[in-house]
Amino acid sequence: MTPDRSIITRISATISRVENLTALYALLVVVVAVLGLVTLPFIAYHDDQLYPKMLNPASSLDPYDRGGVPFGTTPVKSQYPENSPYAGYVTTYLTPFSQWLADTTHHMGTTIVAHPGGIIDEILYNTRGFDTVVETSILFVAFAIASYLFRRDD
Amino acid sequence: MFNLPTPHIGGPELFVLEFGDIVAYFSPYTALLFAFAVLFTVLVIVSRPERQVDIAFGGDAYYTKEVDPDLLRFQRFMAIACGLATLGAMVTGDVFNFTLFASMIGITNIGIVAAYRNRHVLNAAFQYGIVAMLATVPLFGGAAIILSSTGTLSMWELFGGAVAVPLIAKAFLVLGVMGEGMAPFYIAKAEITRAQGAPFILMVHVSSLLLFLRVMEIVISM
Repeated sequence: MTPDRSIITRISATISRVENLTALYALLVVVVAVLGLVTLPFIAYHDDQLYPKMLNPASSLDPYDRGGVPFGTTPVKSQYPENSPYAGYVTTYLTPFSQWLADTTHHMGTTIVAHPGGIIDEILYNTRGFDTVVETSILFVAFAIASYLFRRDD
Repeated sequence: MFNLPTPHIGGPELFVLEFGDIVAYFSPYTALLFAFAVLFTVLVIVSRPERQVDIAFGGDAYYTKEVDPDLLRFQRFMAIACGLATLGAMVTGDVFNFTLFASMIGITNIGIVAAYRNRHVLNAAFQYGIVAMLATVPLFGGAAIILSSTGTLSMWELFGGAVAVPLIAKAFLVLGVMGEGMAPFYIAKAEITRAQGAPFILMVHVSSLLLFLRVMEIVISM
């Protein structure tokens, strides 16, 4: 720790420690986030959304209710309709038990994600199906890492 | 039908691949990056790990380092997964899809690094893991701001001059990719390139480099 080190030497010494990189990155994130908060009033919400989201608190499927009649013709917005010729045929699908649960209780919306045969989301599975594949791959890789690390000491 | 509205970077489209709303495109720029990623993925698949030798100075003694087959197999799997994620990130034509591939690259990089047993390597992997987890916030935040302020995620629309993407969304996107692609710093510091199983480490560098080149194209074109 000589006092006559140049500023570049000090910066270099600081970021050469792996432990400091996290703090440096966090500082960057904070700076950009503050800038984002400052410029947030100037960003306007675009009204013509490609993936509109309507909330209907009265529905028992509440956060996941996309509307539409199963096996009917429901208009589904998509960027390139010519790439998804079957969009709108099946918007949602509930198993008979799920349908009964949705009809009799108001709690279907809270269990729908963990419910087998719960819902088929047209947007996720048809127009943006590739996203679903990649998300599942990320989960698979994460599980592969976790299981390798867990079983390593055998 | 499709006309990539970015004549100033990457040149004309060569080939498009439609996955519904996600339309991947090969321009000369992305095709080059794709070919590079393919080359390195093939190299990872066919390459064999280094058999390293430590020579003791001042004598004839030397130590051969052992290559753990389990570690080798796991790292090769992670490196190939990383290569496939890089392939996707290079050609995808959708911002959210790109962020997903970027976070997949991040998590496979963690897998490559975290497979070692050395304490200092695991320390570096832990630090990198924190950064990669933190980076998902600006990464997906940037995509969310783009969706809410322009109403679309398709690069085909965003690259046109008609839609204005907020600067902060681009900053978030770059920041997120910075965090996910930070692995080479930790690799260099922890000297993992000199640990056994070396060729698979190169995938970390290649994926980070390609990811940065790609996000630059996206941010400049938007």
